[in-house]
Amino acid sequence: MTATPARTTAPDRVARLLAVIPWIAARDGPTLAEVCERFGVSRRKLEEDLTILTLVGVPPYTPDTLIEVTIEGDRVWLRFADVFARPLHLTPEQAVALVAAGAASQSLPGGDGEGPLASALAKLAGVLGLEPGETLSVALGDTRPDVLEALRGAVAEHRRVRLDYYAYGKDRRSTREVDPAGVFAHEGFWYLRGWCHRADDHRLFRVDRIVEAEVLDETFDPPAGGGGREVDVFYNGPEIPRVTLDVGPSARWVVETYPVDRVTVADDGRLRIRLPVTAAPWLERLLVRLGAEARVVESDDPELVDAGHRAARRILRRYGVR
Amino acid sequence: MSAAKLERLLNLTALLLETPRPLSAQEIRERLGAYPDELESFRRAFERDKDDLRAMGVPLEVAEVPGVIPAVEGYRIPKDRYYLRDPGLTPDELAALRMAASVVRLDGLSAREGLLKLGGLVGEADDPGLEVGSLPGGNVGPLFGAIAATVPVRFTYKDEVRTVDPYRLDFRRGRWYLSGYDHSRAGERLFRLDRLESGTETLDGPRFERPPATGDPGARLEPWQLGGGEPIEARVLVDAPQAPWIVHHLGSGAVEEERPDGSVVVRMAVTSRENFRSFVLTFLDHAEVLGPDDLRAEVVRWLEAQAA
Repeated sequence: MTATPARTTAPDRVARLLAVIPWIAARDGPTLAEVCERFGVSRRKLEEDLTILTLVGVPPYTPDTLIEVTIEGDRVWLRFADVFARPLHLTPEQAVALVAAGAASQSLPGGDGEGPLASALAKLAGVLGLEPGETLSVALGDTRPDVLEALRGAVAEHRRVRLDYYAYGKDRRSTREVDPAGVFAHEGFWYLRGWCHRADDHRLFRVDRIVEAEVLDETFDPPAGGGGREVDVFYNGPEIPRVTLDVGPSARWVVETYPVDRVTVADDGRLRIRLPVTAAPWLERLLVRLGAEARVVESDDPELVDAGHRAARRILRRYGVR
Repeated sequence: MSAAKLERLLNLTALLLETPRPLSAQEIRERLGAYPDELESFRRAFERDKDDLRAMGVPLEVAEVPGVIPAVEGYRIPKDRYYLRDPGLTPDELAALRMAASVVRLDGLSAREGLLKLGGLVGEADDPGLEVGSLPGGNVGPLFGAIAATVPVRFTYKDEVRTVDPYRLDFRRGRWYLSGYDHSRAGERLFRLDRLESGTETLDGPRFERPPATGDPGARLEPWQLGGGEPIEARVLVDAPQAPWIVHHLGSGAVEEERPDGSVVVRMAVTSRENFRSFVLTFLDHAEVLGPDDLRAEVVRWLEAQAA
């Protein structure tokens, strides 16, 4: 943790002192080094602050109403600091930053149900007048904890994994071996990134679509520089074919959900959306969800023009309708 | 920042905490003896100090100074609103909170200041091997504050100003959702925070009582469960390749039948037929609505319109 940011504003410094004062005052001579480490402040700054404290107190500002600072060797004592006997309450922003981080960590593999984090959150909730978990929850992504835990271990130990994977975009299930580089949460999903031996390239995998992950004995050398090149969650380079859809105003969610190249709104409120299509089944899903209202009006790939019709007919056959 | 300013802010805080009655600006100026002599400079400096204290979250109260005619505004800091109650965190607990805060961050909201107040930075932030990054932080702070204080909030949502008793915040599918009682709609509603069209204004009152959490407090907010009315129970057949995913997603309690070919029949409680249809169709021809009949017929009609 860095000691002190280059520029500390007055309120930042006051805020820090309002936390430091009660902590020192409640103890019998902690060391300056300990105070510096706990409160992330340099020795020089702390000594400056302590000097100022000797000028702080309450009226009538006689010696016994001013804070008394005693430094002996490496230890420090504070007296007459009763007015600052407790730190300033947590702001809602500070409280929620801790509560949300705690709630999210609880959902990670190894997140403790009854360990120190759980008891810390329960105590914090008590101070805020809340029941733990009653007013806030965080789910980082839908995943099987055992799969996530296996992948995390494989990343740490540089061991190859064999995945039984359902590729949603292509609507295909397959087995492949991957050298895992990292596991990350992004916008509600967990992803594994790594080198896929089947594709012979970097790939991203949605962890919730991994049916089975087997950690193999085989290890690999992690590529220099860490996890290999960044892989976009939504890769949409220029070689990916584009389609332009004509949809009703209620299809606005498409724009908010997927990366799109361009959106134009007609006078009647209908939208023209140009977007990349990484795989035909992906577009089929989008079109059957949008329904008869949506039409492909332009497509780089002629195969995609009647993707919606085709998919609807195929699904209807499943329902016994010809 | 000058030492003089630091000293003045600390003494101002101490003075207003200790005073038994609100003090006027003039009284504060005389007692502290730390402001410029010139009246206009004093006023500016005092305004800035008040802003600084408020920015730190110091509960600065404004009330009339008693016994003065004509009325004069005075200032004080109520101790019960200033002091943090001691949660009594052990070093282990502080370290666990620090670790959590190093893995999961909220955009624009620092956990550091809170940790300092609770006893400082304890333990090491070791690498959990998982990258979580930042969750969106907009409006989350004031809403959580209003939830804890059980006071209503006001914001603009779908072009309408709403007054809402906020009950809880849930982070799902990469977004924050607020649930609460919407006074303008006279009913409980769910709001996506990324769709708030304004900031959040916290009202002073009236205070509300939070209803006891019903069911699983961490219950999923599935799209087909949005909307009102009595839920209908849908039965859906999902093919073998997609079966593990749906079983995990819905929980094994939703499974009605496991067929020899690996496919499963799951039950879903549906209150939004539209969102249900949309969800089922993401399986393309790998899933089939078995019943009830009218729900199945609805999906077929929808597809026929498109296949025509």
